[in-house]
Amino acid sequence: MKTAIDRRDPLTQPQGVEPGYPQTALRWPSQPLQRRPLTASELSGPRDVLRRLAPVRGDLAGHGAKRAIGQLIYLKARVVDEDGAPVPGAVVEIWHCNAAGKYIHPNDSHDAPVDPNFYGAARVIAGDSGLVELRTIKPAAYPVPDTAGWWRPPHIHFSVLGRVWLSRLVTQMFFPGEPLNEADAILNAVRDPAARSRCIARFAPSKGAALVYEHQIVVRGRKRAPGI
Amino acid sequence: MARLVPTAEMTLGPFFPREFAEGANDLTVLDGRKAPGEVIELSGRITQLDGRLLDNVVVEIWQADSRGRYDAPDFSGWGRAATDAHGMYRFRTTRPGAVEGRLAHINFLLLYSGLMRHLQTAMYFELGSDPVLDAVPAARRELLVAKKISSGWRFDIRLRGEGETPFFDD
Repeated sequence: MKTAIDRRDPLTQPQGVEPGYPQTALRWPSQPLQRRPLTASELSGPRDVLRRLAPVRGDLAGHGAKRAIGQLIYLKARVVDEDGAPVPGAVVEIWHCNAAGKYIHPNDSHDAPVDPNFYGAARVIAGDSGLVELRTIKPAAYPVPDTAGWWRPPHIHFSVLGRVWLSRLVTQMFFPGEPLNEADAILNAVRDPAARSRCIARFAPSKGAALVYEHQIVVRGRKRAPGI
Repeated sequence: MARLVPTAEMTLGPFFPREFAEGANDLTVLDGRKAPGEVIELSGRITQLDGRLLDNVVVEIWQADSRGRYDAPDFSGWGRAATDAHGMYRFRTTRPGAVEGRLAHINFLLLYSGLMRHLQTAMYFELGSDPVLDAVPAARRELLVAKKISSGWRFDIRLRGEGETPFFDD
């Protein structure tokens, strides 16, 4: 099966330069992006990237019996293509801050406590139904460094390596009902309201020990029969 | 079947875990075995509008093997590196062979804080006829050609401003 890539509607993608996020004006190209023809180079991709990237932790909610501080959540994210077909084997990297708004990263200078039982990074592989499941704690909001008064809403970062080079997706997942979602410069850089709402997870009521959130991630590409 | 809209890309942010960015910048060895072909050191500096050297930019590459094949069993063709405090990324890889209809090239993808979407470009070893290179205005094509230096090949990337690297959308 070959993969076909269609152009995207720009309104469903963020603007390159966002007035509320000053660094974008230093980094996004000033020249228009060049449209290129797609060849085997762009429409292929590493079949088994796990030979280079090993899985990392499937559970961020604590070390063994020691539970990380925060609201326990269970995340069920499904990776599908533009036909809605699951993408089994997709490599999904997930990272987020702790329940006080602090990342494990050495560059995070936010004055918030580290939780010794929380390590906010996982690399998991999508199963046959494209599903990635992760037990973790709900991340907190935090102020963006070097900006006046902009707080990020709680969010979880996703990096997805799909079937081909052009399926690559790095995005963020937000939580429903968070007041900070309305003013976030990153979420609101997506101008289409429907596309924006698809970046917000769905709360799925359950009777288990954790709050369950469901999310769908759509990577680029549709299957195409050979010869078409 | 109704088509689903691809999820919006969003910035990598400043806190991509260090361990994710490490350990995948040597493409010459796979599963403990050396890939066939000429080994090259590929490095470059990444800067923004004001010339500042950018630390912790995540650079991913995708390329054919030395015989011009994608996803060969003995060469995965995919790698990832992050820039250091001097804005430098480094890969060790094999020089790709030319794929039918294309000049030898390496695809680049950049992820960084302040980049709302990832940026895509391609690196060449020389100018010539190539459908992707031809999509770039002639005066800017030279910016996609790496320079031969004593330690290998050097490909600097300017995100914005003078000498801005051409980027692709597709």
